[in-house]
Amino acid sequence: MRIHRIYAIVLRYMYYMIHSIDRMSDMFYWPTVDLLLWGITSLYIKNNTQNVPNIVLMIVSGILLWIIIWRGQYEITVNFLEELWNKNLVNLFVSPLKLSEWIIAVGIIGILKMTLSLTFASLMAFFLYKANILYYGWYLIPFGASLILTGWAVGFFITGIILRYGTKVQTLAWTAIMLISPFSAVYYPLSVLPLWAQKVAKFIPTSYVFENSRLFLFKGYVNWTDLWISYGLNILYLFLAIVFFYKSFTKAKERGLIGLF
Amino acid sequence: MDTYVLEAKNLTKKYNKFIAVNDVSFGLKKGEILGFLGPNGAGKTTTIQMLLGILQQTNGTIEYFGKNLETHREEILERVNFSSTYVDLPWRLQVREVLNYTSYLYSIPNRKQRIQKIVDVFRLQKLMNQEISSLSAGQQTRLNLAKAFLNFPDVLLLDEPTASLDPETAYYIRQFIMNQRDEFNVSILFTSHNMAEVEEVCDRVIFINHGTIIAEDTPENLPKRIHKSRLELMMKDGMKRTVALCEEYTFAYEVNKRSIEVEIDEHAIAHFLTLLSQKNIEYDQISIKKPSLQDFFLEVLKHHENT
Repeated sequence: MRIHRIYAIVLRYMYYMIHSIDRMSDMFYWPTVDLLLWGITSLYIKNNTQNVPNIVLMIVSGILLWIIIWRGQYEITVNFLEELWNKNLVNLFVSPLKLSEWIIAVGIIGILKMTLSLTFASLMAFFLYKANILYYGWYLIPFGASLILTGWAVGFFITGIILRYGTKVQTLAWTAIMLISPFSAVYYPLSVLPLWAQKVAKFIPTSYVFENSRLFLFKGYVNWTDLWISYGLNILYLFLAIVFFYKSFTKAKERGLIGLF
Repeated sequence: MDTYVLEAKNLTKKYNKFIAVNDVSFGLKKGEILGFLGPNGAGKTTTIQMLLGILQQTNGTIEYFGKNLETHREEILERVNFSSTYVDLPWRLQVREVLNYTSYLYSIPNRKQRIQKIVDVFRLQKLMNQEISSLSAGQQTRLNLAKAFLNFPDVLLLDEPTASLDPETAYYIRQFIMNQRDEFNVSILFTSHNMAEVEEVCDRVIFINHGTIIAEDTPENLPKRIHKSRLELMMKDGMKRTVALCEEYTFAYEVNKRSIEVEIDEHAIAHFLTLLSQKNIEYDQISIKKPSLQDFFLEVLKHHENT
């Protein structure tokens, strides 16, 4: 493992971000749209009902915490796709770069861009709705860490699929993460889901985090057992996703990285 | 016994039932420029991909500096590099950025000085702030080559390095490649479809077709395997008689206005000229074209396809 090679990949994707208006805008555009849409909706609900306290902070927190999962997954999958679109994968892997170094680099990029995106969206939420994400205090760290692990697990799993089937399944880079969103109970309590969906949610690590964020919001404490379950599931899924990604890479090498598109 | 910096042993690549490369073995000596030639689809690129570790071989082993590529990948690729006209670069990045991030992929001492030196050699100074997407094909090729030389490689794999370059730049690059070999003993595997270039640059040539090596020798020796030369006569008088003579002796010929080109075994030339003189056939000019590498290439392919 060499730091300079990890730095090379971080540098390569940072350069790309600077020159790419679409990559810059998607860091800020979608959080803005979501905040405006859902923030105003939650304001409307707040002004017309009396039984849902903290509704604005609950929904806005959902939006902000979702950014963490989304960026974690997106940076892995889309940066990999970027190499395929540019036919640049060969240039990387004829160098001594190891796959593990690439994995760490995209993880770092994910954290950097998530921080940028989250800071921007948090400031916006504060100025628009007086919703302060720092209300969660230090709990933001275990919440955020668990969510980014889920993002990475999904990211490596999707990238593994793209390695096997090429860019014809690239739409998964934008859509796959949304599959777990209803079961994560991002904006509503888990109890409103049908029973079968609640059973599915037990296997979705993000559901424990969002439930806990609401628990803290309404009761002022978190359920550590649930958070540990979330970490346990995340570690298992991330391990499986990385194994799948490695196996897919080996499979792709049997066909040749140069022809991968 | 030769010591090789790169040695491929019994390299085979199968895609289901199709055999792209079949039991290929060869070595690249230190300081040698080895031409790797063959028609499109012969298995050159497949072999190069396997040599770079980006395509898994079905069978066989690849060793650099006496070490197996699979078990010593990282250590080996520090000392190897590659350039291909057919591999793109990240098109939104600037030239400066490509060289900069690539330099960090290798352990390069004095990174900035090395980049500056390479920029000067490949005449990239004026292009440094340009995006890859705005470069011409020739400029991209120069950048690809610059990238390949960044890490002071001991072994270079160059896939058609001068394709899409103008003649002056292609000449300059060829000279640079040969200088690198002379000065730093760099070993180079070189593919090209330009036979004159291969004759100029390569010390040894391997011909591959249908995934199999069909010939291997120096660029000077290979054409000697064809005994047929081309005798061109600018006729003064007796074109019809010359044509009749060619047909009588079953020499292949081609008439072009006042000249005739006869394909003839080298040892039969003197006899043919004597026959012309006996028949009072007069000619103004005579030229004998010895077979070139290109003639050998075409002949071997023709023979191989027929068999």
